[in-house]
Amino acid sequence: MIFNSIAFLVFIAVFLPLYFNLKGKARLILCLLGSYFFYGWWDWRFLSLILTSTLIDYFVGLQLDKTDHSIKRKQLLFASMVINLGFLAFFKYYGFFVESFQQMLLGFGLEPSFHTLKIILPVGISFYTFQSMSYTIDVYYRKIGVEKDFIRFATFISFFPQLVAGPIVRASEFLPQFQKDRSFNWDRTIAGTGQILWGFFKKVAVADSLAPFVDQCFAAPETFSSMHLLIGVIFYSFQIYCDFSGYSDIAIGLARLLGFDFPDNFRTPYFSKNFSEFWTRWHISLSGWLRDYLYIPLGGNRGGSFGSYFFILLFMGLTVVLTGWWWLAIIFLLLIAYAGWYMRRGAAEKRKMYTYMNNMVTMLLGGLWHGASYAFIFWGFLHGAYLIIQRLLGPIWNKMLDALRAPIFIQNALAVGMVYFATCFAWIYFRAPDFGIASDVINGIASLEGFNFSSVINKFVVLKGGLLIGILLLIELINFRSPLYKMTLKNPYFRVASFAILLWLIAFFGTFGSNSFIYFQF
Amino acid sequence: MKKLIWIFALIVLTFTGDRLGGWVLKQQVEKSQFRYSRLYTQRAQADILLVGNSRGLIFYEPYIEEITGLKTFNLSYNGMSIDLMRNLVEDYFEKYDAPQRMIVDVTMCDRINDQLTSGFNTYSAYSERLQKLIFERGGNMGYGAQFSHLFRYNSEIFQRALFYLNKTDKDWLLDRVINKNMVAEAGNLEAYTIDLEPDSTDLEYLPVNLKAMIAVAQAKGTEVHLVINPYYPVFAKKIENLESFKTKIETFTGLQVKDYSSSILEEKGFGDYQHLNKYGARLYLDQLKKDGILP
Repeated sequence: MIFNSIAFLVFIAVFLPLYFNLKGKARLILCLLGSYFFYGWWDWRFLSLILTSTLIDYFVGLQLDKTDHSIKRKQLLFASMVINLGFLAFFKYYGFFVESFQQMLLGFGLEPSFHTLKIILPVGISFYTFQSMSYTIDVYYRKIGVEKDFIRFATFISFFPQLVAGPIVRASEFLPQFQKDRSFNWDRTIAGTGQILWGFFKKVAVADSLAPFVDQCFAAPETFSSMHLLIGVIFYSFQIYCDFSGYSDIAIGLARLLGFDFPDNFRTPYFSKNFSEFWTRWHISLSGWLRDYLYIPLGGNRGGSFGSYFFILLFMGLTVVLTGWWWLAIIFLLLIAYAGWYMRRGAAEKRKMYTYMNNMVTMLLGGLWHGASYAFIFWGFLHGAYLIIQRLLGPIWNKMLDALRAPIFIQNALAVGMVYFATCFAWIYFRAPDFGIASDVINGIASLEGFNFSSVINKFVVLKGGLLIGILLLIELINFRSPLYKMTLKNPYFRVASFAILLWLIAFFGTFGSNSFIYFQF
Repeated sequence: MKKLIWIFALIVLTFTGDRLGGWVLKQQVEKSQFRYSRLYTQRAQADILLVGNSRGLIFYEPYIEEITGLKTFNLSYNGMSIDLMRNLVEDYFEKYDAPQRMIVDVTMCDRINDQLTSGFNTYSAYSERLQKLIFERGGNMGYGAQFSHLFRYNSEIFQRALFYLNKTDKDWLLDRVINKNMVAEAGNLEAYTIDLEPDSTDLEYLPVNLKAMIAVAQAKGTEVHLVINPYYPVFAKKIENLESFKTKIETFTGLQVKDYSSSILEEKGFGDYQHLNKYGARLYLDQLKKDGILP
């Protein structure tokens, strides 16, 4: 069931009155059953997967609580990881791994024949798996207490507002909120409704209006002019942002309506002045998860670990074998030699190099999290490279700006523009169905053939898209300076006017066809 | 109680704003010089009625009027489907004196475009026929337009009406020359088919609508000419079933279809593979004049 569908409207219209009329256990059971109904609407067979993950982590949690034996605790954690990641690997990456392995053997002159299975990707598996894993890891490290109530735990894993596309909410943030009954609250309802409407505007009006133009660009880039493709890429950057953050807003707003507080998942990411900042503003719940459960365990910016070396060498090896570009091996060997030499220069240099490695591993795995394709991994690689380049050249860039004595506004605009366009460049690989199309898009833009507005086809869509992006940025800019939801709480006139304006904008600009959310595929 | 008043205020404001906004936009649509605005506000009387999808836009009205000395009205639109066009043509014949001729580019019979049909919500208030089609083909979009008047103007059709508020749309035609990439890629294009039965549940949906549209015109004494407008020469060769498509249309309608698919050979006459530009349109229209399709 998707939020922008009639089915969901009916579901929520039935669910809300029941929810606020029940208390205690009965309300929890309603939440759980409602969540399973919501999820099972896609395919009831997927319920078995989420139920299995829930049961495993629930029992692993109980066992972790019972024992202090360190080896047994490690074994329990390992079992949970293997099963959770096993599901993810099978449903999301099986085909990719088999094809890659086949290709690798082909590279060695062998002609293997493997059976590939047509596996349907269960919606939201990456999200609830990470949420479930975070619970077990936190219980293992004794950061949180064990949850003994199964219904409560199962509801935490499957809570419908954020089940299929996040935000990934940590057990430490979410489980305590189940402790007390939430009664209907007017302020929460206002804030929640406002956020839901804003989410719908982003998704239905902005993202879905931009989608057809973007689809056209990436279907046959060779047929479009340079300007048309550039607009297509810019539109995609806003399409994916509005699609995903729109979903998050609806999810957070719904949760708020039900009495729960979820952390923000996006904070105007395209206003970021550097790439580290970008990752504290884009898909915050995933970047936070990767930071806490991957980057820091790898050593973070303090040191390295076996994992850092293992993943870097694995990615390097696979890249050489799968692309068949053996010359890359020489470059990688030179890089390794340089890194080895650099790390011997001193403790500070060693720490820097570890930071680079850990950044790169985190971003590569972050890319792979999005889906089983080289394009996503390359997208991760680009962001890893941006972070490293920023660390290397950041001080020089800052000195250059200081030397220019440019006003702070110009400096900020330059930094925001640079981060935005580098992010757009990476989006090309994220969106393109293959590397060939991505190259066609990049070459098409770089050719500068037809770099004028008259060469753009479907100017009406462009004008509408431009107008919507303008409205979005204006509201985000205002919201960036002073959160609008606070105004809606304080001033009833502003509240009524802003809600009505959002409804008009949705009616006038919305694309209504129950278009799915991009991040459902992840 | 106070809270209920605020909810009530929101509902009233939303509803009033929607109706007021809808009314303002309706005034603009009626003032517009866009073809469908003219159609529904008695400003479209013509001697030659031109019908097609985006390929029908090459019936370049200023030039036709120049070489024939007759008034024209072009109902063509990007992605137009024949069921929607049938309704528009029926509305035309209901509202105006019958034109002398109707020229139809039959390659528009290759798709059902329910999204575009829904976009005609902008004009649904003027035609019960159109409203019925939107309810039939557009699903909930028809109900949406009843519920919200702003929603009626949520389409590219409205944007065009706004664009042509103070200027004529008769000049609407590609004004660029096919780009070098497309020329280079033309030979590598995959084979193309014109799908006369895109809706597998009703194989005769499109031809039945075409036949009905022709019947309306003929009943009023209008001479109907069916043509296939030009394609970029290399692209034309890639169309596998053009001949069988043409035969099917002829069998169904009992009229001859004049095939001009490969009649324009000059590269600079094309805007892309499927559309002539202004220069190409003039060459083509001269040919239609010479062949007597244009009076």
